[in-house]
Amino acid sequence: MPQQTSPPARVATRDPLAWAVALVALGAFAGCIALWRTGGGTIDVSWARELDLRLHFSFDGIGALYGLLATGIGAAVFAYATAYVPLHLDHQARPARDRWRFWPWMALFMLSMVGLATAQDLILLFVLFDVTAVCSYFLIAFDRQERASRLAALMALLVTGGGAVAMLIGAVILYADHGTFSIPELASLLRTQDEAGGIATGTTVAIGLIAAAALIKSAQVPLHFWLPRAMAAPTPVSAYLHSAAMVAAGVLVIGRVFQLVEVAPVVQDGMLAIGLLSIAVGGALSLTRDGFKQVLAYSTISQYGYVVMLYGIGGRDGATAAAFYVVAHAIAKSALFLTAGTVTMAAGCRRLSTVGGLARELPVLAVASALAAATLSALPLTIGFFKDELFFRAAAEHSTLLGVVSVLAAGLTFAYTWRFWGGIFLGERRVGGAADDAAAAAKPLAPVPALLTAPIAVLAVLAVLGGIVVGPFAELASDAAGATLGHDVQLQLAYHLDARETWMAALAWLLGGLLLATPKAWGPAARALSRAGERFGPSHVYELSLSAVNRWSDRLHDVEVRDLRSRVAAVLLPGGILVALGFAATPTAGVFQIGSIDGTDLLVVALLALVAIAAGVVAFTHQHIAIVLALAVVGLGLATVYALLGAPDVALVAMLVETVVTLVFLAIVAYAPRGERPSRRELAGVASEPQRRHTHSRRWRDPLIGVVAGAAAFLVIWGALSRPTPAERVVDELVRLTPAAHGRDVVTVILADFRGLDTMVEVTVIGVAVFGVIALLRRGRTW
Amino acid sequence: MTILTEAVARLLLAPSLMVAAAILIKGYVDVGDGFAAAVVVSLAIALQYLAFGARRAEQELPVLRFAPQTAIVGLLVALSSGFFAVISGGAPFTHEPSVGARVVRIGRLELMTAVSFDFGIFLLIAGALVALIHHLAEPPELEPDLEEDAEAAR
Amino acid sequence: MTLVFALAAATIFGFGAYLVLTNDLVRVVAGMVLISQSAVLVVIASGLTRGAAPILPTGDERPSDALVQAMALTAIVIGLAVTALLLAIVARVRATLHSLEVRELARDEAEHTAEIEQSQEPQLEELDRDEAEDEQ
Repeated sequence: MPQQTSPPARVATRDPLAWAVALVALGAFAGCIALWRTGGGTIDVSWARELDLRLHFSFDGIGALYGLLATGIGAAVFAYATAYVPLHLDHQARPARDRWRFWPWMALFMLSMVGLATAQDLILLFVLFDVTAVCSYFLIAFDRQERASRLAALMALLVTGGGAVAMLIGAVILYADHGTFSIPELASLLRTQDEAGGIATGTTVAIGLIAAAALIKSAQVPLHFWLPRAMAAPTPVSAYLHSAAMVAAGVLVIGRVFQLVEVAPVVQDGMLAIGLLSIAVGGALSLTRDGFKQVLAYSTISQYGYVVMLYGIGGRDGATAAAFYVVAHAIAKSALFLTAGTVTMAAGCRRLSTVGGLARELPVLAVASALAAATLSALPLTIGFFKDELFFRAAAEHSTLLGVVSVLAAGLTFAYTWRFWGGIFLGERRVGGAADDAAAAAKPLAPVPALLTAPIAVLAVLAVLGGIVVGPFAELASDAAGATLGHDVQLQLAYHLDARETWMAALAWLLGGLLLATPKAWGPAARALSRAGERFGPSHVYELSLSAVNRWSDRLHDVEVRDLRSRVAAVLLPGGILVALGFAATPTAGVFQIGSIDGTDLLVVALLALVAIAAGVVAFTHQHIAIVLALAVVGLGLATVYALLGAPDVALVAMLVETVVTLVFLAIVAYAPRGERPSRRELAGVASEPQRRHTHSRRWRDPLIGVVAGAAAFLVIWGALSRPTPAERVVDELVRLTPAAHGRDVVTVILADFRGLDTMVEVTVIGVAVFGVIALLRRGRTW
Repeated sequence: MTILTEAVARLLLAPSLMVAAAILIKGYVDVGDGFAAAVVVSLAIALQYLAFGARRAEQELPVLRFAPQTAIVGLLVALSSGFFAVISGGAPFTHEPSVGARVVRIGRLELMTAVSFDFGIFLLIAGALVALIHHLAEPPELEPDLEEDAEAAR
Repeated sequence: MTLVFALAAATIFGFGAYLVLTNDLVRVVAGMVLISQSAVLVVIASGLTRGAAPILPTGDERPSDALVQAMALTAIVIGLAVTALLLAIVARVRATLHSLEVRELARDEAEHTAEIEQSQEPQLEELDRDEAEDEQ
């Protein structure tokens, strides 16, 4: 990244769009606090009763916790981004309007997180889960000129989106078994069933699927690989999505459906195992990484492993500790991510091996991120101390083994956190070079706008405040745990110097310090693990399967495009065979009616004959203008037929539409004179093979197919029209109801009222078609 | 095009919009609905395009520029009318005020969500069709690399 | 009348099916239009009653089946959308590939694919792993 000494951010930070989004986040944060203090509220709208779909939001403890995180961390990160995004765009020489690819998605992401936090319905949960995945896709691919960014975004979308599909399947299985999508109802149903003698296997599978979706979202091993890749996103995106929002959505869902998980012990044990595995793998790999954000990404995997493990332990201790852990981690981790971004902006490099000793030049940043690192590594006087205390207590209560493991895990966290901080701020001063590089030692830092430091300081202050006045945070966590468990939970936190947990923490610090001091001892092993993971790990499987899918798609495309006609036939033929089978299976003997011709019917017959002839003209002329005109005759003739059959509405619309279609058709046909043109290859002077090989055999084949299709259609249509359903009273019923709908034109009333949903979908088709036309002809410009 | 077609096109614009308005408003009691009215509007616009050519037609009727926005507003009107009943606990796409309740009238036009739904459809289709006419009135835009190919072809 | 409607609709459908198989994209689109016209005619013909226009009051005469009319309207509208999209595809194909002959297009496509395969971009799995590391 080139060094920029000019401060373009001065002007651009006054970007009203950015500040509007940041202020919305701040306002939403205030709103969430107010809602939390006043006890929340519930919205429950059954908007599609037949499908049992409800818009059911409830601002309970979980809603408060994750809502506050999404909006609070959101406000801090957005404030940071008001300075970061203009600089970022400037470095890449991109136009300022590209910020429109950033802010609306960030805002939507925040909104869907709040929605997700409060949703009480599995389908709603799925939809919002997917909205976050879609937002993350666009945000990760913000630098869309970079191939790596695009691939990372695709990976995140495919992996987490695939997880969301698993969640949907789980939800549908639960609905099939229990008849509701509502999470509270399901919870009480399942609990009763569990007490009555255990739940069905299908239910366990469904719960497992939902839990799997959540674990994938929280980047748990073995489907964790999308998260480090997603670090291709700009730093504010990483800071927000990968500390407080996107990955938090996974554990949020676990917290929400925890009462379901509780009745499926297999799933809960699985979570415990996956959590432990993630702590180990994430932590070990974090120690091997060199890129700032890579270190943090693997640390996130490891930290959410803690939370998943705590949910795996379950019970009062586990649920409370998990909720508290999420808060403390989000504050610390977002601050560390933002630190990485600021250092990159100032020094122009993003690897631990190329910077060092920046503490003197960036003192505020150094202190603030030290506090964040202290929080993450659970030092006293930060909120992080309590997160580990709760963690140790839950683990030790579960079993001694888990207690030992938890100390090891905390030691690992201590090591990679301080490795990150120390790597940037301590040691010999250097920028953009190795340790003994004279140029790097003298290279100056770029000026850092205040807004790239202030939000980090605010988060750090918050972390320390939480360590001193822990009450509100404890209350938040206990409320969330209450909502998770379904009954009230009390949580009192204070410093006890002689408690078992304090000793465990001290042991962990010691262990972490040892790890930091002896990198040579464990370095080779950790790096070997990392290499093995790349060579044989799940990300390799992902790449293999993706390229296999690509190959298959290429092959299919090849088959299709080489012979479009066979493709059309490939639709017509099976369609025809299916219809023929249906026809053969339907008893038709004696049902064919000829019908009577009376009144104006003779005129209709004559018009239909005209229409049929015009259709023949369409079929056998090669002049495009003639085709269009004959088509117009067909359309207008049919419109007249409709008018004669007592369908004036249809006649009017058919006539108008026919006119529009004729005009548009003429316009298209008129663009260029028709005629055979040389292919691109011929233009380039290369002869191509003779094309008229099939002409002779085809001269008779196509009309024959047409005749067969027409004859088959004739039999089917005649058979169908001869046997009208006996439900004639529907006609009278619609006529009878029309005055009650304040109308007199029955057709319009059907369209606008009785079958309004159909009409809505129908006009949506028009909208989609117009978008298609715009994309095809104008490359996406609407006008 | 001749002066005559231009004059006719100019003369016909206002009456055809009138007809469209009539079809729209009378839709609930007589033949026609929002869709038919929208197609009439688009035909009237298409006539302007035919008579004056795309550029001049858009110069003389600068409001056409807002066709995509009109379509979006129409979509929102239709959707909000459709889901209006949900607010008072009804099923979506049932009309409001509900059966038997009093309906506000302006002249003979009764104000209810089914009618505003129809109006939304009208806006949506009119905007979409005008945008369609606009886009199809000019040859498609080529992508840069393809433009080179086109050059080579010539 | 039943027989007449069936005959007319089937004839239009048959011509449409023939056109869809032709080599010229404009005629293919014309075939699609014919097929959808035939479908609308069938929908209207399947009305349970036939009589006066279903606009109240209808007097003594029984009104025509309004439900099929509403469905036919829907079908017509969707037909319009599909036709517009198909025509846009035709316009785009003609502008980019200078041809509307299906066989020529297939040949061009094949040549184009061959060109791409020759200058294949690096495979996914070959992507340098350090690239991810490198991202800021």
